[in-house]
Amino acid sequence: MSDTILRTSAPAITPDPELFDQAILGATTRDWLALLKPRVLYLVVYTGAAGLLIAPGPINPIIAFTAILCIAMAAGAAGSINMWYDRDIDAIMRRTAKRPVPSGRISPSGALGFGVGLSVLSVLLMWLATNFLAAVVLAISIAFYVFIYTMWLKRRTPQNIVIGGAAGAFPPIIGWVAVTGHLALMPIVLFAIIFIWTPPHFWALSLFASADYEKAGVPMLPVVAGAKATRLAVMRYTLWMVPISLLPYVLHLAGPFYGASALILGLVFVWYSLGVVRDRQDAAGVSLTRDVPAKAAFKYSILYLFLIFGALVVDHFL
Amino acid sequence: MTDPDRVIVSVTTPQWTDEQKAEFNKRRRGRNWALFAAMVALCALIYAIAVVKLYHAGHMW
Repeated sequence: MSDTILRTSAPAITPDPELFDQAILGATTRDWLALLKPRVLYLVVYTGAAGLLIAPGPINPIIAFTAILCIAMAAGAAGSINMWYDRDIDAIMRRTAKRPVPSGRISPSGALGFGVGLSVLSVLLMWLATNFLAAVVLAISIAFYVFIYTMWLKRRTPQNIVIGGAAGAFPPIIGWVAVTGHLALMPIVLFAIIFIWTPPHFWALSLFASADYEKAGVPMLPVVAGAKATRLAVMRYTLWMVPISLLPYVLHLAGPFYGASALILGLVFVWYSLGVVRDRQDAAGVSLTRDVPAKAAFKYSILYLFLIFGALVVDHFL
Repeated sequence: MTDPDRVIVSVTTPQWTDEQKAEFNKRRRGRNWALFAAMVALCALIYAIAVVKLYHAGHMW
């Protein structure tokens, strides 16, 4: 950023005074960190670490730390590129309007450069610290999120998060490959669990954020198919998720502790999804309870993923 | 200026109050320190990785 001239993306005519001031004053370190979508990073790092911990074979703690750091950097980099690409719709949605790019505190090109630079650094560092395959899978996960989800699917189809959810399912594979140097059945099963978990997680969110998505023209399922169809879709995918989450136990890749945990956690998820389906609603399926069940299901879905991967790690060391 | 949606503002214009100048400098200093810390951490990490790799390859100690 130049000392004397600051460019902002704030509109030339009657800008929001508060945002305009912030834009002129420039970004804080916190703004740059916000580009990494830190809330999403927790789950990514956690599932990546789980994949790394349950992989057979030893790994030096410094290498393990670097591998997890690279997963976090890559996910953050993809988030930054996503914020660059989606800056137009982010500015429209209430939930995202105060992000650093739409509010003008960071320029679009700054966010893009930051994301691309961090992507390259994370892949190279992963290759240096672990192995080539882990770096390749990491690069594929970034490319999938940026090109397949953000640029191709997100604005085109309500299936965006079904297919795009694969991007968030890569971390356990990367963690595993960082240790072993090759793919195996277990990380693929973990990929499948996160893949099938993503739709009910995001559709529960989209039920109470659909007004935002509609305003921005993002074809999330409630916007395109309606709330009623979305509620049924949440239930359908949750019912698919339960047997898939049991696969590590069924295939003898994990023990009874994991099996019992997955079953109980899965049934609780089904109960929450049932709450979403049975929520008091009008004829179109729009909630009359301010989407309390959908909010509860969304919160539980996050807890579910933490607990099920935690159970997997505990089971591994039992 | 080619893009009508963008605004160019000079930070040296008289409209800047002392508080705004101080805030601008504070933010810039914060960014510089963060960048410095990140660079140092990266160098330390690459050094540590090199030591671990050499150790496991039997080229150290």
